[in-house]
Amino acid sequence: MLSEEHALQLIVDSLSSLRRGGLIQADLTITGGTVLLGSGSALDSIAFVTFVTDVEERLNRATGHELYLVLTDIHEFNDEDAYLSAATLARYIAGMPELRATAA
Amino acid sequence: MTDGPVIAITGTSRGIGLAMAGYFAGLNYRVAGCSRGPCSLKAAGYFHTPVDVTDEKQVRGWIRAIKNQYGGIDILVCNAAMIPPASLLTATPLDIAEGTVRTNVLGTYLTCREVAKAMMLQRSGRIVVLSSMAVGLHEEGAAVYAASKSAVVEMTKVLAKEVASMGITCNVVAPSVFRASAIERLGEAVVKHALEQLTIKREVSIEEICGVIRFFAAPESGSITGQVVHMGLVA
Repeated sequence: MLSEEHALQLIVDSLSSLRRGGLIQADLTITGGTVLLGSGSALDSIAFVTFVTDVEERLNRATGHELYLVLTDIHEFNDEDAYLSAATLARYIAGMPELRATAA
Repeated sequence: MTDGPVIAITGTSRGIGLAMAGYFAGLNYRVAGCSRGPCSLKAAGYFHTPVDVTDEKQVRGWIRAIKNQYGGIDILVCNAAMIPPASLLTATPLDIAEGTVRTNVLGTYLTCREVAKAMMLQRSGRIVVLSSMAVGLHEEGAAVYAASKSAVVEMTKVLAKEVASMGITCNVVAPSVFRASAIERLGEAVVKHALEQLTIKREVSIEEICGVIRFFAAPESGSITGQVVHMGLVA
């Protein structure tokens, strides 16, 4: 099981890592309201794909599960007006069926 | 156990893929090969995984397994392909056309997608996609196959632009006639006819094909991307 807080910490760690690597130029203070995708995001498309891949790697290491983030599976995600915040992604990760099954 | 570069090659059960895997294993590369069927290669540094490149889950699992075993992927060679029997377009059944496009185009897309993402995290990598002389010859009977091999050229060129800023290069090698099982299946007459149309009218060796891949993979080739090398043919 992975709590929303833990998932958010994974996201924070990933974004910090990408920033250290120079992929994100902006000086981000990452909170649940941080925009990952959509208007106001500090991530361009390449940075976003790299971020998603990095979060998947971290999830794999943290849980031992083969987990992949599928944006269209996120209930709140509207791909016609793409917008994703750190809190929304953390909520999706914590609610992934593979992780819920582990908890059960 | 070798500590050479990590090279992932698809379609290593036979033909060019099998020969490439043996070639690079012989040079102390760490070779991760895959195919739907088993592979006869027994070489130090070679590890084989049964993978259908058209299956998203299997491709993802394979790439993750390579990363877990070796820590990363230096070079990807997208070789897996289906060569359908020569058939006029007007006589080609839909299932043959679909299978060819699925393996040759979508299999390349899936493999490139997953490996490119891994390479983006590494900020480095070399992707080499195999096309074919069929693209330049416009041979009757090869419409679907040639179209699929033309598609991967364009896909590679676009990918090259998309990932250039991440230190990844993407190039294409289009071998001419290699006496692999697939070519032998087509028959001597087809091979002979193809050779007659080439600028260099002989078969190419695995050393020549792998020489092009090694050129693309070399550190000194970091600024070469989106290129196509046609072997034996002026395209």
